[in-house]
Amino acid sequence: MAYVGQIVASVSEGLQYTLGLFAITIVLSMPLGLLLMFGRVGKNRLAKALTSVLVWLLRGTPLLLQLYFFYFGLTFIPTIGKYLVMDRFTAACVAFVLNYAVYFCEIFRGGYLSVDKGQFEAAKVLGFSRSQTIRRIVIPQMLRVCLPAISNESITLVKDTALVTAIGVTEILYFTKAAVNRDVNAFAYVVAAGMYLIMTYGLTALFKHLEKKYSF
Amino acid sequence: MAMIEVKGLKKSYGTDLVLDGVDFCIDKGETVAIIGASGAGKSTMLRCLIDLEKAQAGSICIEGEYLLKDGVYADEKTARRVCAKMGMVFQSFNLFPHISVMDNLIYAPVYVNGEAKEAARARGHEHLQMVGLADKADAMPNDLSGGQKQRVAIARAMMMNPDVLLFDEPTSALDPQLTGEVLAVMKDLALRKMTMVIVTHEMGFAREVADRMVLMGEGNIIEQGPPDMLFDHPKDPRTQAFLQPLRHE
Repeated sequence: MAYVGQIVASVSEGLQYTLGLFAITIVLSMPLGLLLMFGRVGKNRLAKALTSVLVWLLRGTPLLLQLYFFYFGLTFIPTIGKYLVMDRFTAACVAFVLNYAVYFCEIFRGGYLSVDKGQFEAAKVLGFSRSQTIRRIVIPQMLRVCLPAISNESITLVKDTALVTAIGVTEILYFTKAAVNRDVNAFAYVVAAGMYLIMTYGLTALFKHLEKKYSF
Repeated sequence: MAMIEVKGLKKSYGTDLVLDGVDFCIDKGETVAIIGASGAGKSTMLRCLIDLEKAQAGSICIEGEYLLKDGVYADEKTARRVCAKMGMVFQSFNLFPHISVMDNLIYAPVYVNGEAKEAARARGHEHLQMVGLADKADAMPNDLSGGQKQRVAIARAMMMNPDVLLFDEPTSALDPQLTGEVLAVMKDLALRKMTMVIVTHEMGFAREVADRMVLMGEGNIIEQGPPDMLFDHPKDPRTQAFLQPLRHE
């Protein structure tokens, strides 16, 4: 039993980076995704092209590759490379925020397209400006439609945080591996799995609540 | 001065001519029913009036102010000001489903006109009373029947104090009973001398309530006049053909 406590304590040391990466990614990638979405559905051709390429690149390559690229790869760029050196956690955040932003962009786009054309017309004849229509009429309806997909994405994000152990960020899996190697005992894996399950369970419950609250 | 003055309005989708130089006027306090077969351009014309569709030629003048003058649209600010004189009621209601009935009524007055919430709410209750839905202020739109939704939509349009109300087939999505409750509200507005332009297939209602009926066909006005004249003494054979089956309804 003492061993269980010891393992939980040592695996938990990684909790701050796991939760930190999760929080930073969620908080920054959703607004960025929303912005990208408006680029994609808007009338500006340049914005449309740029966002489409960005979505293609970041959705079409492995997140692990993107992590390596932002941490190791950027520094190899001639002349400006030396200014692009980031610490492990920052590089992880940049890769995650960008990667998740394009997924949220696509999720939001689905929601945006599901809003009935009549809603825009009703808003227009009532005198709402374009930005008021988006903020007060479109986004609330869109988010409701997107909630299940956002829930799904956030659960994936919890599990994806484990990837950053590959560039040496000291999150949960990093300490788990260390504990397994140190003690030659696989029990730490079970503890880590338990922690991820608790986090994803919490998210599931949260989104269930949100879906109920914002149903209409 | 005419409330609405339309001259030579033309619109086509590709090679398909939908409006072929339509001219007409609507006076203050008048209730005008626009009738005609599907595809005659009724809805398109109505939607042009409030800038939901763009015409390619002609003029649209609302209370002396041009939305469209000889094929050229007014700048955005003017267009918004002109369109603010009108309210519109849609076939598919288009209530905002994510907010309550009361919020549907007060959103535009509060966020577009900057009216105080409490004042808007008080007016909202009056308007709900007027359409017979005083007890539905806190309901969500999706909990209402189609007829109730459309009455809320009428109240919502009235909240902006429009000088003209445009109706685009307001009862086409409703069964006969629900149609009746919506038409009763519209009749009430007509009696109070609200200026209304109504695209409709409800001939009985049009005949009873409208001051004037306008029959459209093939992108233009075929014939117009007081309902009894159109029903009993149509001049154009197409009017005869369109209204004949309905004469004894």
